This record gives sequence, C-alpha cells and structure tokens, in this order.
Amino acid sequence: MLIKMAFLTRLVSLLLIICQISSVIGENDEEVSTDRYVIEGKVFPPENAILTGWQLMTHVMANGGEHLGYLREDGSFTISNVPSGSYIIEVVNPNYAYEPVRVEINSKGKFRARKVNLIQTSQVIQVPYPLKMRPFAPFRYFQLREQWRVTDFLFNPMVLMMILPLLLIMVLPKIMNDPETRKIAGTRSFQEMEQLNSLTKYDMPEMSEMITTFFAGEEKQKSKAVKAAKKRQ
Amino acid sequence: MGPFVPDLRGKFNRFLSDIQLLQYLIVFFGLFNLSLCLYEDQVGKFDWRQNYVGKIKFASFDTVSAAKKIIVATEENVVAALNLKSGQILWRRVLEQGCAGHVRALGGVSDGDLITVSGGVPAIVRAWDLATGHILNEWPLAEQNPERLDSPLISFNTTGLYDPERIEDVMWHIKDGTLHHILPTYNGDAHKTEVEVTSYDSKTGEKLKSRKIDAAFISKESTCVLAVPYIACIDQPDLADKVYIQHLYATDSDFQAIPVIQIFGSETGHLSNLESVPGDEPVVSVSRDNGQTKRIIVINTESAPIPNDLSKDTALYITTADEGKVLLQTSFENQVANVAAVELSTFSPIPNLSVSLSHNSIQAPTIVASICPRQPKGTGCRHLLSSEDHSVALLQHSRLVWVREEALANIVAVEMMELPMSDREQAIETEFDQKENFDVDGSWDVVSMMVRRICSQANQLKGLLQAVMGFSPPQSTQRADLVRDEFGLHKMIVAVTSAGKIYGIESKRGEIIWQLRVKNITGFSKASKKMVLYVQRGSRHFPHPPQCALLAADKETGNGVIYTFNPMTGQPLGEVTRLGYKIKQSMLLHVSTDDFLRPIILLDTEDSVHAFPESAKATAASVAKSVYIFTADQETGVLSGFSLAYSTPEELIAHMVWQVILPTKTQQIVDVVSKSTIERVHSQGRVLGDRSVLYKYINPNLVAIVVQGVGSTHKNTLTLYLLDVVSGAMVFSVVHKRVRGPFHVVHSENWLVYSYFNEKSRRTEIATLELYEGKTQSNTTAFSSLTTTVLPIVERQAFIFPASIEFLQETITEKGITSKHIMVALANGGILELPWMLVDPRRPINPEMREEGVIPYMPEIPIQMDAIVNYNQSIARVSGIHTSPSGLESTCLVFVYGLDLFYTRVAPSKTFDVLKEDFDYYLITIVLLALTVSSYVTKKLASRKAQKQAWK
Repeated sequence: MLIKMAFLTRLVSLLLIICQISSVIGENDEEVSTDRYVIEGKVFPPENAILTGWQLMTHVMANGGEHLGYLREDGSFTISNVPSGSYIIEVVNPNYAYEPVRVEINSKGKFRARKVNLIQTSQVIQVPYPLKMRPFAPFRYFQLREQWRVTDFLFNPMVLMMILPLLLIMVLPKIMNDPETRKIAGTRSFQEMEQLNSLTKYDMPEMSEMITTFFAGEEKQKSKAVKAAKKRQ
Repeated sequence: MGPFVPDLRGKFNRFLSDIQLLQYLIVFFGLFNLSLCLYEDQVGKFDWRQNYVGKIKFASFDTVSAAKKIIVATEENVVAALNLKSGQILWRRVLEQGCAGHVRALGGVSDGDLITVSGGVPAIVRAWDLATGHILNEWPLAEQNPERLDSPLISFNTTGLYDPERIEDVMWHIKDGTLHHILPTYNGDAHKTEVEVTSYDSKTGEKLKSRKIDAAFISKESTCVLAVPYIACIDQPDLADKVYIQHLYATDSDFQAIPVIQIFGSETGHLSNLESVPGDEPVVSVSRDNGQTKRIIVINTESAPIPNDLSKDTALYITTADEGKVLLQTSFENQVANVAAVELSTFSPIPNLSVSLSHNSIQAPTIVASICPRQPKGTGCRHLLSSEDHSVALLQHSRLVWVREEALANIVAVEMMELPMSDREQAIETEFDQKENFDVDGSWDVVSMMVRRICSQANQLKGLLQAVMGFSPPQSTQRADLVRDEFGLHKMIVAVTSAGKIYGIESKRGEIIWQLRVKNITGFSKASKKMVLYVQRGSRHFPHPPQCALLAADKETGNGVIYTFNPMTGQPLGEVTRLGYKIKQSMLLHVSTDDFLRPIILLDTEDSVHAFPESAKATAASVAKSVYIFTADQETGVLSGFSLAYSTPEELIAHMVWQVILPTKTQQIVDVVSKSTIERVHSQGRVLGDRSVLYKYINPNLVAIVVQGVGSTHKNTLTLYLLDVVSGAMVFSVVHKRVRGPFHVVHSENWLVYSYFNEKSRRTEIATLELYEGKTQSNTTAFSSLTTTVLPIVERQAFIFPASIEFLQETITEKGITSKHIMVALANGGILELPWMLVDPRRPINPEMREEGVIPYMPEIPIQMDAIVNYNQSIARVSGIHTSPSGLESTCLVFVYGLDLFYTRVAPSKTFDVLKEDFDYYLITIVLLALTVSSYVTKKLASRKAQKQAWK
C-alpha cells in the first residue's frame, strides 16, 4: 500500500506490479514519501575469530528480512530500496551476537539511528550513523562439560554420600565417648551407650554364612542380604 | 543438662533416617542430569542439516576462476556456487523472500564477475565476487523518467503494456560489464511504439546511454522475446503470421519480418509459442497453431528459418563445440532422457556429443547451461540439467556426475512414520496373529500353536547358528537398519514437495531411501501450494503394508487427485486416482475398515460426500452420526459446518448444520488452525495455590480462525475467532488493533499462542490464550460440543518477543505427559525451543499472587542461546516445522523444512525415561561396590567397638 505512490513517480519498469497488485487493489489515501533510501554501515569482524569467510556467513537484515544487505570484503554493507520508516537493523551471524540498531528515516530523508528498546519504545539513545556494528559476545549454544577435578569429585553427591555417613558413624560415637559428655550424662550413660551402640549394630549376616548360603545355591537369600546391607548403609 | 542427651539422640536418630531418604534423592537426581541444552561434543549426534538452493532459473559455468564451479540463481531467490565435481554448495546467498528477491537476470560470469538483477521496482543490481561470494557492489536501478511521469496513458489502469501479465516484457541483458535494460513500450499510439534500451555500467550503476528504437510492429498483444542482440516479436496468437525481428544495438538497421510460408513452407496457419532458445546464438523457436511441432529461426542479418520439424516438448539449447554451433535437443520418453546434438546450420547429427541416460531423478530435463571445452581426447560437453521435478544434474561426457534433489527446498506436506518391524519380529508377530487359531468356542488350538512355536524357535536357532558360524543371513527384502528401534526414535520422514515428488527420508542421517513422482499435480490453492498427506494405515498392521494417501489437485483441471503408496518402500499402491470433482475438504476417519485402513472422507465443491476407497463407504456410514465436517472459504468468507448424520450405507450425505459469514469487505480469513488430531492431553486441570483444581476446557472441535482486516478503516487489525466447528458456536473472539502480519498460530490442548507485529510499538509480540471450564468439570469422560453450553473462562496475556518469527509449532509426545514447548523458527535462522511456561497467560503480574510452578510476569521473553536447538547451523527461510512423538514419552522429534532441512529431537521435560547416553556406568558400579564393602567394614569396626565397650 505504501508504495503505490512510489510507483507513479518512480515507475521504471513494471516488475513489481505483480508483487504489489494486491496492495494496489486496496484504496489508499495516505500521502507516502516516494523516495527510496539506502542504509549504510559497517560490520566489524569478531576479534580472534577465523577471519576467512566471516563476511559470507554474515548478512544484515532490516525488519526481520524485509530488506537484506550483504557484506563487502571490508565488512561494509548497504541496504538499498528502503522507503522511509523505522527499521530494526540486525546483523545475522551464527557465531557472534551483535546488538541490533533501530534506524529511522523520516519523510525528508533524515536518518537517525538509536538503540533498540522494545519495552520503553519512546526512549531514545542515539548511536552514530552510518552504523558501526560491533560484536559483543560469541553465542554460547552449548553447555560446558565438566572437567575432572578433585574438588568436583569430593563434592560429588555420590562420594559425599559415602563419606558423610562414614564420618557420622565413626566420629559421632567418639564424641559420645568423650569423658565430659559421660560425666554430664552421669549414671545413665551406660544405658545410653548401650542404646547408641545398638544403633550401630547391624543385623547383617556374617560373610562366611553368606558364602555358604551362596554355594548352597540359595541365590535369593543372598540378594536379599545385599539389599539389606545397602539399606542399612 | 539432663534432657540434652536424649534430645541429641533423638535428633541423631532422625538424622539417620533422614539421610537415608536424602541418599535416595541424591541417587535419583544423580541419574538424571538436569540439563536442557546440548554439549558441544553432541553436535551432529541427533541432528542433521541439509542445504538446498531450489529449482534452477539461471545457471552459468564459471570457467574463469581457478576453481571451476557452476553459478546458479534459483526460483527460491538464491544465488549460489556449486562445486563442479561434487555438486556441493560452495557458497550461497539467500536474497529477499518473495517478489522483492526474484532473480530477474544473472550474467557476466564469463567476464569474471557475477551480476544479478533482483526484485521489483526499482530492481536491485548486485555484483558478487565469483570466488568467495562477497558482495562487491549493489545499486538500485532507479531512474526518473519525466516523460513517462507525464504520460496519462501509463498508469495502473491502462491495459496493454502495463498489464501485470505482460510483466515478462522487461528484458535484461548483461554483457561486457554493461547491463542493458530492454523495455518495449506501447503507448496506444502505433507511431510511438518503440523499444527502449538503457545501458548501465553493471558494477557502478552509472547510466551509460539510453536509446529508443522504433518498433512499429509491436502491438498491445504482442509476445516478444530477447535473442541477443535481437528482439523477436509475434502478434497475438490468432493473428500472428509473421515473426518480426529487430536489432537492438545497431543504430540504423530496419526490422525483418519473416512470414509463415518462409518458416513452415505453407501459407496457412498462425504462429504461436515464440520462444527464445538459450545458448550462444540468437535463435528463436516458434510453432504453428499450437501444433505438436516447432521450428527454429537462426537470427542474423538475413535470418534463416530451418526447415526441420522439432517436437514441441523438446527442450533446446545452443552451445559451441569445435568452433561450430551445436543445437542440443533434449527429449524425454519412457523414463529415458535423450540429448541429441546436431550441427545448427546443417542439422547433421553429431553422435559423439549425443547422450541418452536414464535415472530416477531425471524427469523431463532441460539443459540450463552447457559448455564443450576442447580437450586432448576430443571435445566433450558438460551439461547442467534441470528437470521438471526440480532436480539438478551434471552430465559430463555422457556420464552422470552428480544429482541434487532440489525439490526438497520446497516441501509442502510431511509425515513421520514408524519403521516396520524386522523380519524376525514379524515372524513372531505372525505366530500370535493367526485368526484361525481361535476355535468356535474361543479356546486355543494347543497342538498347532505348539508346532508353530517350535518351528519359529527352530528358525530362530538356525538364524543364530548361521550368524555364529559366519554364514551370510538369508536375503531380506528390507534394509537391516531400516527397522523399528527400541525407543521409536528412528523414523521414516515422508516429504511431499511442490514439484509432485515424494521422498522417503530416514531420520537418523537424512538419507533419501526412495523417491516417487506424481505427474501433473499441484497444490489446492495457488497461494499456499498445500497438499494433504494422510497416513491411512501405519506400519503396525503386518502383513498389511503401511499406506499413505496424497491428496492434491490436477494441474490442468484443478480436480482432485489421490495417490496411494507404501511409505516404507516407495512402492505405489494402485494407480493415480484422478477424481471428477474438486476437493473442498477432506478428513481421515478415526475408524478403520477390516484391513486396518482408515478411509478418507472427501467433500467436493457441490457439497456431496465421497469416501476413499469407495469400498469403505459402509464403514464411514456406520460412524456417520458423529461425523462433522467444516469448510472455510477464503474468497467468500463463509464458514460452514456439515453433518453426515443423514448418510445411509449406500450413500454419504452432507447436511449443512451451521454457517457463519464474515464480511469480505472488511475481513479476510488468513488462517484456520485446528488442533493436532493425534494430540493427547494428560492432565485435565491445573492445581491452584489453594489446592483447588481449575479444569481445562479441552474441546477437540475448537478451531481458531485468524482474520485480517481489509480496507482503509479496518486495515491493520487482527481478529481471532474461536469456533466450535461441530455446533457452530462462537466460543471466543479477540481483536488486536494496529497490528500486522505475519501471523503465526499454535493451537493445542486448552491454549493458543499467536504472534503478530505490533505497529504502534514496532515490535513482535506473542499473545497467549488459555481456556478453562472452571472449578467443576462438565463431563469427566468425553467432551461433547453439543451438550456443553458453558463458555470457558479465558485467560490471556501478551509478551514482547525480541526477534522476528517465521514459524511456530508445538512439541508433541506420545501420551501428553511431558510439558509442551513451542518451537519458534526465527528470522535469523535459529530454531528456538521456548518453554510454554514462559508464555503461560497465568504468569502473575503481582509477584505476591504466586502459584506453584508459575514464573512472575515479565514483559519480554528472553531468547536463551542454549535453547537454540540448531546451534550455529542456521536454517534459511523456514516454511514449516513438523513435530512427531517418538516411542519415548520424553522425546519429541522435530523436522524443520524450508530452503534447508533440519532434523533433531527435543526433550521438553528432560529425558526422564531414559539414561543419558553419557551416563557414567563405572561411577555407579564403583559407588555401589564401595558402599557394600564399607558396610561390611563398618560392621566389623562396630562390633569390635561394642566388644571394647563391653569390656569396660
């Protein structure tokens, strides 16, 4: 629709007619600027990147692909045939992130470039025009695999699981055995100790017993015993 | 201090029991590494990508650069360089989508630079670096022509030259660094008819000269073709009796007129089908009275028609070999392509340049580029063939070097199918699947069962022995790797392309297993090119073969076409059925016939109903009481619903039960989105903060209708209607003002996610709707549109999305237990996996009103880079995403198509049902062993301690 007037004045060939035929059908009373503009800028290559072919992997896109610009060998680009309006210019590179810029072209052909702020749309932070697009970070698509480290190993839940109960079982009775604690506990201490000991006393089968049962062919008993042992732990 | 010890002991006791629980928890979480994204070493493990360029429009051999290659420009608006030896893409530049990027001309390759003209008014001329694909310069072909501005005749209302159908009247010619823009103009005044030739420097855009050539022979209805440096025209088909030829660059030459008698040798008939023959010489071909033959005219200062009849379907190309001009005639008969080479001037055949070959992918080829370099062994030609089925092939010295399946750049319908069982499993299946095993009273025939079992096990044993002894296994009809795997992750992707070619692609590596071609079919509507693919029978019904049915329209008549095939082997199951009516609507019935075939119900434009196959009519009629069909007409804006309740077993009858008319003056239907038919909803409700349940409004008959406002007052509005297509009840509607497309909608379970561009704030937004029945559920078993009258509670919310969206699709899993994610195809080539939780409309704005598992509202949805499932493998111009459940509940298979193909699998709720492939078996073994050992050791220690205690 916006381009209808542009046709009348700028008609060079009829190629666009089919493209725009649907828009021509609708009536349009808006006065639209007929001029087409060129957005210019330069994309800087990512540092410490492999420099060959980055221009080929990169292109510049206005409003999500409505207009496209391609990079010259030095990184500069032009987006031609742009009517006046507001455009979000994005640099598309699969490996590096570039900050998008909003370029506004008024009907008189004045350019203004500013930072994109999708939430506070009225906020204006100007950036220089012609655009200078610099990469700000490489994309992190992947999660890093952990490296093997001693601390990692020690803090591994499974290792902790092994060590912590061991510690508790070994150290806590020691604390309880402390003479001071005993004194406090007084006469009841022996009883207490008995009970505490019963905690650490497991009704696990004897190893010899187990082996004999195993060789007797009673597999079930064995597996039960192992299970019981695991649970107790 | 007395109570301290018992207290401590109690705590210690509890601690011990707690730690046990903790242990289980730790083990549990240790098993499933909670991560969404990929590790770097998993690249390419579950995913693959294939790049395409599309159907070739222009091609040129690059013989200038050091690395020989082929430069192509395609219908998909792509300029690319292909490796001469392998056909791989060396570089590829994707131009603007649609008309704005149409490549109009390509040239200059022989001069060492590459110039393309693309787009509409004004066209963009781009100069590319041949070797690397960088752009060298670009300039718009914009020119003020005051004369034309003033002319009242030239406007859109003027018929004639500016008729859109005559768009091809503009011709381009690129030669020696100069771009010629050739435009025949017809002003209604015969004396002013002329051809305007404007020349530009192709690299800088500098206008060199512009000249006008009188061409009085051009009329309103003329057809003109460019045969550089000449222009050739004929009058409209019924009147044409002469071919007019005019030199474009010689200033003082007059036009030549060649009458019918000179071409065809007899006075009668009119000329038609004037075509320019591509290649190195100015030659045109013309036929008489739309006949089956055509003749060629070699244009010169004294143009000479050649009195040899050529078949109308023969594609021509002129190349240079051994200093002489050679006419290459390509014909295609009985699956064999013939390239016959003749001397252009004498028509004497050159047998050593003639080729004939037969290949599955070469269907009715035309030569788009050809060179015949002189070599020590003699002259041999390289031809680049572009087939009717969009495939591209390089022919070198009568040998096929490579073939590219470019039809895959334009996929219109996709299904993912389970692979069949292996032969052995099938044998087991037959063992239990014998119907005759049932006696009349239902008891089993024990003896025969026993015999069968022993037989099959003996066979298995034999197979095992053979494998062990190293004998080759018996020849199998299927490929060993194309069988169902344990988790149903390996599937067959059946892809239908706009060229009418059907591919079977296995999903593990993306290898094309089979291909089929259905001639003369096209999509149902010109705009969308959509065809419909139904799976009539899956691969679980051995010995019945799986069956797919493709529904399309006939290219000439527009009538319906049904084609059935086996999706595993690519074997056609029956002939192409050309129906005698146009298909308006189609549906796959949920019931199947005795041989497990699900019939297709077709509604034609006369509103009569047909079943496919015909024999399934009775099956269809048996369930007709509960079958409803709805249609939506984009042109008239009429939505109507039909019931099949009046059907008899002899005849299916559609009876209109409701109709909704949208005024076409103000509204235009853009999209109609229904839910996936294979979708299952696991949870019926949502638990709120106060432990009550909010029941979901799960209406499988709910359809979203996306309507765009038209006309000056309603422009830039989006209306969304939710319509129950069984009862015709309007359930909900919402209007967005000052928004524009592209609109993308996902409709699933009880929610709807759609995206649009907000013109006021100039940003893309995603809005969501969620429908709830309320605190009570109207019917706990099955939803009925006819009895449910309560309108649902609608929750809605909009979010800012910081990127442009090309396509939206939801993930789907086998049982619907796994949470849903939305696959978002971004304009920058990424495929984002967006958790639905982030677009949940119940995300509270007030952070104190938190519910369980709901994130507080934030206006902007962040794009997490580790949720980009295709990492740095950008997918250009996505046209669709197909999701399919796998055998694992956690995993969903994703197939993205467009210009590129991409396949991966995603696990929206993490892989909770299978161990990760990097699971540490050693660690868990060691831990278990260590635990067992330590338990014995501690037991010993403890008993020793107890002994010591006792001695004290």
